Amino acid sequence: MPEIFINGQPVQAADDETVLQAALRNGYFIPYFCWHKSLSIHGNCRICGVQPEGKNWVEIACNMPVAEGMRVLTDSDLVREHRKATMQFITLNHPVDCGICDKAGECTLQDYHFEYNGGRSISIDAKVRSTKHVELSKRIVLDNERCILCTRCVRFTREISKSNALGVKQRGDESLVRASEDGAFDRDAYSDNVIDICPVGALLSRSFLHQARVWYLKPTPSVCPGCARGCTVNLWHRKPEWKLRALDPKQNVSIARVTPLENPAVNGLWICNKGRDLAPIFERARAEQPMLKGQPTDLPGAIAAARGLIAGAKQPVALVSSWGSNEELAAFAGAFRDRFATFVKADHLPADGEPLQDDLLIRADKNPNTAGARALFGDAPAAFAEGTDLVLVWGEGCNFAGLPRGAKVIFLNAYLQPENGHADAFIPISIQTERSGHYTNFEGTVSAFAACFPKPPSVADAEQLFAELAPPAGRRA
Amino acid sequence: MPGRQLIMNFPVTATSHTLADYLARGGYQALKKALAMAPQDITKEVTASGLLGHGGAAFPVGRKWSVVKLNDNQPHFLCANADEGEPGTFKDRWILEHAPHLLLESMLITSHALQVRNAFVYIRGEFDLPYRRLAAAVEEAYEAGYFGERILGTDFACDIVVVRGAGSYVCGEASGLLSSVEGKRGYPRNRPPRLTVKGLFQRPTVVNNVETLANVAGIITMGAEAFKQVGVAKSPGTQLVSISGHINRPGVYEVEYGYPLKKFLFDDCGGILGGGKLKCIIPGGISTKVLTAEEIEPLTYDKASLEAAGSQLGSGGMIAIAEGTCMVRLLQVMLRFYHHESCGQCTPCREGMGWMHRIIDRIVGGKGVPEDIERLYTISKLNDGTTICGMGDAAGYATVGILNKYRDEFEYFIEHKRSKLSGNLEAPVHA
Repeated sequence: MPEIFINGQPVQAADDETVLQAALRNGYFIPYFCWHKSLSIHGNCRICGVQPEGKNWVEIACNMPVAEGMRVLTDSDLVREHRKATMQFITLNHPVDCGICDKAGECTLQDYHFEYNGGRSISIDAKVRSTKHVELSKRIVLDNERCILCTRCVRFTREISKSNALGVKQRGDESLVRASEDGAFDRDAYSDNVIDICPVGALLSRSFLHQARVWYLKPTPSVCPGCARGCTVNLWHRKPEWKLRALDPKQNVSIARVTPLENPAVNGLWICNKGRDLAPIFERARAEQPMLKGQPTDLPGAIAAARGLIAGAKQPVALVSSWGSNEELAAFAGAFRDRFATFVKADHLPADGEPLQDDLLIRADKNPNTAGARALFGDAPAAFAEGTDLVLVWGEGCNFAGLPRGAKVIFLNAYLQPENGHADAFIPISIQTERSGHYTNFEGTVSAFAACFPKPPSVADAEQLFAELAPPAGRRA
Repeated sequence: MPGRQLIMNFPVTATSHTLADYLARGGYQALKKALAMAPQDITKEVTASGLLGHGGAAFPVGRKWSVVKLNDNQPHFLCANADEGEPGTFKDRWILEHAPHLLLESMLITSHALQVRNAFVYIRGEFDLPYRRLAAAVEEAYEAGYFGERILGTDFACDIVVVRGAGSYVCGEASGLLSSVEGKRGYPRNRPPRLTVKGLFQRPTVVNNVETLANVAGIITMGAEAFKQVGVAKSPGTQLVSISGHINRPGVYEVEYGYPLKKFLFDDCGGILGGGKLKCIIPGGISTKVLTAEEIEPLTYDKASLEAAGSQLGSGGMIAIAEGTCMVRLLQVMLRFYHHESCGQCTPCREGMGWMHRIIDRIVGGKGVPEDIERLYTISKLNDGTTICGMGDAAGYATVGILNKYRDEFEYFIEHKRSKLSGNLEAPVHA
């Protein structure tokens, strides 16, 4: 454990650390663009310069291994001058079009400009024009004028996603980040992470392009239900205090974008592209109308009918959802463990063309809580004993044609589906963004998600619903 | 010829570059002698000789070599830097064309000294004849058993690969060169780690200039003491100087260190073209600071003398500039070069080179403003020591060197929107 001195204060550094890491870990901020804790050191932005004490030059902190007794200054006149100079260079050909840039409000360049430069450019020459709105893939567009060539995105595709899809073309101030021509970036299942690690607004998401200013949005911590990895994510949606009235009010309860929520235990800093596309998964057409054999009814009516069916059944079977939270599954187990023969159902199967499984994050099981459900109900495949007279289906993914003939069906589902109308009792339920809970991923790690929006009044929360459906104690059949 | 000669010490004929002629001159005797020596003794001999790098930085060769630890259970690499890209420099080309076996023999000796199994020559892509001569020499040497397994009947084995560059100035920088050999984009690397610790393929690597290596065979043959007798105390040996510009007899000369600079220019090279007067010289490639005619008056050609005058030996690419040459346009040409060759990896150089080029273009276009001179100074200063490789510094030195000494020409150009002189870069003809 070498001891180094930052601005004269002793700091305990780890053996394999650089000065930048030791400083950041101990609360001394040194600005950086190209350095990233998960990527290799490139040292090309030069903003992280610090002054070795007693010397009249700066060295970059990101590539400076710590050594016992090392003394550096992070706030000397020379360092401030160096940062200002570097910002002058970086903004020299940057268009400073923050007003129309999606990154504004969360942009490193913007922050540093206010913090370390502040002044006008000392250049009077025209800025170098470059290509704008370059389609790197179907999901990502690039603005080369905003790009500061930190090469974080290039290193990401080489070191993390391993698609080797990005590189730098040309040289000097005409350098351009470009995707390889074989379409590798289109196939890169993690490509959207480069948007997050871009320190400026050069890499932009097609789906979020010009959709919202980030300061009108707030992140709600959640868990991606796309596969058994259960990556923690932030779901960004409009802040309650910035509700839209005149424009499409639906936007008030829709997900604007999804970003990874750093979690070393599960997904590190990354999520896959499917996780970015949760909005279309959650925002499919909702089932909000309780029904009895297709006839609309109200929620208490549907619950009463279902309770009657359960009470009267001799040999009931339940197919529980692998999208249910641990709390809902526990509520089901508490109410019906002895009453139903219970099996865990895979709600979602891999879609056509979807990456099945890889070494980074993606898992073949496309359901978030299979592990949590199996812990309670075992992993036996669904089997219907002779004389099954009631099937309770919870969630999507049930093959209704495979249910025993003549058995009554209680169906709990959140989305519009033809089978909703055929069930003897259909009860609409809430979705993940309307409730909070926990999922257990395939490794047994439990992650929490919080509610973003209120649920529609006519749908039930599964956790309470199971208590209401359960036969009162003492009268159990 | 200016002083004693160590490399250009044979008459150039149609066959003087072949193995047969080289053997007849006593070639590959130094290798025989070196293979009988212990590796560390060779390094000791080279260190004792005081040989300095001839690529531009004049770094002591022995000090570079001694960083490589012998017997450390990992491969070491040697790379000869034949990517001669500094404007005004064409001395390595002479060695590659006329004495390729001298380079190969020296590389074998160096490989023995540093326990190198695989050596590389990174040759400039634009070199055609030098490449063909070198490739033919490698073939000859393999056939004669100087490369491969069990060289000269000893346990020493060494292979060599000639890699051709693709036309980038920055690939002449040692770490950029190694990136290029590895097949990557020729971006220079950050230090630490030093290349002698982690270089080619992350292994200890020595990168030396062609001329530097070419001296090794001679040092082994004559011994360090005899080598030190040539030149002056602090810069022993000779330098191949490639002189061009407004000079009567341009070409490659082998100059013994300590030779009077003025005598070299006016006696050996025949003075200024067209009978003109000398305005200044660029002593060692355009990245070294210019020296005016008055300044070179007392100078001798060696490291200490040029550094005392505020310049450097550089790569030996000397450019003579006659009275009447427009320094604004000269700087424009130089900055256009730096702008074109900046690799674009690190911020100050990527943005600064283009910026300086745009400013000087504007001045030459008659749209300069008085603050532009300060702006050029500022950009040069901001580039000094802040870039990954030395290119940012070099461009700054060159700019500041010219601005310091010929500021009046820039002020005149900005004020009057035309050159103070004829505006030409060509040598004016005097009757």
